[in-house]
Amino acid sequence: MSFKQMIWKMAKAEYNKYLFYFLCNSFAVMFFFMFATVYFNESVVQVKQSESIQYVLTIPGVALVVFTIFFIHYAHHIFIKKRKSEFSLLMTLGMSNRDISKLLLLENAVIGLFSLIAGLLAGMIFSRLFFSLLMNQVGIEGVSFQIIGSMFLSATAAFLLVFLIVVGKSLFLILTRDPIESMKSEQIRETLTMKSPLFGGIGVAILIGSIIGLYFTYGNPVIGGDYLIFWAIATFLGLYISLLQFTSFIIELAKRSKQFYYQHILFWTNLDTKLKQLTSIFMLVTVMIMVTILYSTIILFSYMSAEKEAIAQNPFDIAFVEVDILDTSLLVQKENQLQEHISIPFYSYSQKDTYYDWTNTYTFISVDNFNKLTSRKLSLENGEFLSFINVDPEHADGYEKNILFPIESERRNFELKDTIFDKRINDVPNLGEMIIVNGNDYASLKERSDGEEATLHLVNVENWKESGPFVKKIEERLKTGADDQDVVQIASKIEDYERQRNSNGILFYVSTFLSVLFFFGSFILLYLHLFSSVEREKEKYSKLRLIGITALEMKRIMTKEIATIFFIPTTIGTTLALLYVVAMAKDIGGITKHPDILLYFFIVAGVYYVIQIGFYLFAKRKMLSEMIR
Amino acid sequence: MLMLEAKNIVKVYGELAGEGATTALGGVSFQLNKGDFIAIMGPSGSGKTTLLNILSGLDKPTSGEVIIDGNIISSLNGEQLALFRRKQLGFVFQDFNLLDSLTVKENIVVPMVLEKKSATEMEERVHELASLFDIEEILNKYPYQISGGQQQRTAVSRALVNHPSLIFADEPTGNLDSKSSTVIMECCEKIVQELSATVLLVTHDVFAASYCRKVIFIKDGLIHSSIDRKGSRKDFLNQIMDNLAILGGRTDVF
Repeated sequence: MSFKQMIWKMAKAEYNKYLFYFLCNSFAVMFFFMFATVYFNESVVQVKQSESIQYVLTIPGVALVVFTIFFIHYAHHIFIKKRKSEFSLLMTLGMSNRDISKLLLLENAVIGLFSLIAGLLAGMIFSRLFFSLLMNQVGIEGVSFQIIGSMFLSATAAFLLVFLIVVGKSLFLILTRDPIESMKSEQIRETLTMKSPLFGGIGVAILIGSIIGLYFTYGNPVIGGDYLIFWAIATFLGLYISLLQFTSFIIELAKRSKQFYYQHILFWTNLDTKLKQLTSIFMLVTVMIMVTILYSTIILFSYMSAEKEAIAQNPFDIAFVEVDILDTSLLVQKENQLQEHISIPFYSYSQKDTYYDWTNTYTFISVDNFNKLTSRKLSLENGEFLSFINVDPEHADGYEKNILFPIESERRNFELKDTIFDKRINDVPNLGEMIIVNGNDYASLKERSDGEEATLHLVNVENWKESGPFVKKIEERLKTGADDQDVVQIASKIEDYERQRNSNGILFYVSTFLSVLFFFGSFILLYLHLFSSVEREKEKYSKLRLIGITALEMKRIMTKEIATIFFIPTTIGTTLALLYVVAMAKDIGGITKHPDILLYFFIVAGVYYVIQIGFYLFAKRKMLSEMIR
Repeated sequence: MLMLEAKNIVKVYGELAGEGATTALGGVSFQLNKGDFIAIMGPSGSGKTTLLNILSGLDKPTSGEVIIDGNIISSLNGEQLALFRRKQLGFVFQDFNLLDSLTVKENIVVPMVLEKKSATEMEERVHELASLFDIEEILNKYPYQISGGQQQRTAVSRALVNHPSLIFADEPTGNLDSKSSTVIMECCEKIVQELSATVLLVTHDVFAASYCRKVIFIKDGLIHSSIDRKGSRKDFLNQIMDNLAILGGRTDVF
């Protein structure tokens, strides 16, 4: 039998090991590739230059790199652990280091290549599938699916880099380590060399510090987003240190209370033995859950707030300006009938700016009409004027409160009485600020200057969400009477709503994509962890069964262990996501101003928990049946 | 006092009347009294291990019954059997069967943990047994850090931790060198003499068997003969070897 034949025979006999390793690597490639399809998508790249999407991709980007490195490393570790004793045996039988390296390289090259191909293929199919699914369901415009060379290139390069490092490392370990040691390696515990509560304290300090830092910098409009990557890395680092140290700290603590420790001895020792591996799993799953929940909350918030924002910005369903006398037949509708119609005449006057080469348009309105519009009971003397600014008083900062009368020739005749901030009309062009004068002055201003009178129509319909065609119709009509340069003065809830949805579209697409990707990633990781140790666990329980453990007791211990690895990361991840939500909400005025973000957060977290519980029950059943078999 | 009674144990592997059926035990009966120290010997494939598995409840006989301390163990279900085993029986295995992730001390207390005993009780019991078998020094070490003999003494301590009335040992010296074997067999003697427990061991190691009070020889699934120890251990050893020669088993002593 030649060397090659022997290898082939060994591989065929234990194809399971190879299959597992191959699937893990394919998954890693797929993960990289799917992220690349979003990251290098041209419509995303374009938006990325200008908008917040750059920051949105930051945290998942960091998390993805950490995840994939770990994932490949972990899969390789499991694979090599299974092969190591076989290699050592071959080495004691006289196989040379050269042969072993040849064997290892050959195996890994073949598996790596196939994983790469399978991963890219699967990535292409899944991202395409996901894209069309999302497009059909949500109807986002402005993103088109594409597959370009840089996606393949980056996914392949990233995978190969990590893969080569990992393979190189184990090659080095196998060649430098004593074969006898390697044969025993299954038994040897991984012990933590630097165990100290102080380190744990530092970890927690970094973790808390990063969140506080994010809270105080994220609101900054200029540099806030740039720091996000820094704080995200700090959070992950702090999390890792504290997880590692605190798990060992808790085990130490448990050991002190003998009664408690002995009661759950199998649980504690299992935790202790797998500490490093477990910490990495905890860390990664925590990060993935955190990212998933954080981004789902952001999506839900922006999706839901599109409607709210549209309502807040548009007190009336439709507002438009008609220069000529209105053709009332325009407003007659069979379906979705008018509920309310207010017409307010106003006078608009344009004059050249003193310093710049543009025209300023001013809007004048009589106090009676203003009272009608805002349900106020104001009165003005001749020569008095009010400045009305159509914004919520909360956002009044930055507006000039002591303006002079805008028409220069009339300036000495008028005196400012007050400035009123109120959000009363939709954001119709040129109607953001108005000058209010009494009826007499309004009439004489009209006579003395050469502006034009127009009417502002404020309309409410039965159902604004259905008012799209109606708005279109009015817009068409307004356009027919106007010059090309004239602005069509119309603002409606429905248009605002659709605009918001579309501008959020790409963000929405990217965030949903990432959430789903990370959601599955965390599951696969937990599953991998659970079933990679199944052989060992089986052996342990068969030993325990010989000394009289009952099936029920075994189930109870297993359940406790599985519950721990499922729910500790979920809890920490949810908590971190909540803190990040609170910190990132500073960008839009803080959590106190948008308490509904919390509601969305709890909805998302609740859904996640329900799914996680479902998956936990599934994994538990699968694991227990595997153990009993 | 009667400790264990095996009544006409038959074990057939495979379909009962089928062609591939193998009779491992063809009707074995014997009794064990409290304080007995008995070895079952026989050549490979004679049914020793099958017998031990049936006696200890790890396997079910095709027919016949095993009564331990008044309990018919073949009528117990899986859960009851597990509870019965850990309360009444102690086990020592050829490959020690220690958990890698537990220290020596923790390994010893596992049966007590399952019984939910208090921590102080466990500590006391561990130190009692550790001093008896001279493993106090290594209580906080892990199985892979200690020698085979020490591992087996740990396993013996674990078998005794719940004060069982009957100890089963399956080739306890099978994986040990001669020196360690001596220590282990002396441990078994101590169990019988000082703790007044009953020990049944299965072995093909003549040296180990010579420590017992009685040796039962089985061949082809049936009891072939048995001898009692009357004189010194050396005489008994020679007697066993003579018997094995008749049986056709292994007779070399290292």
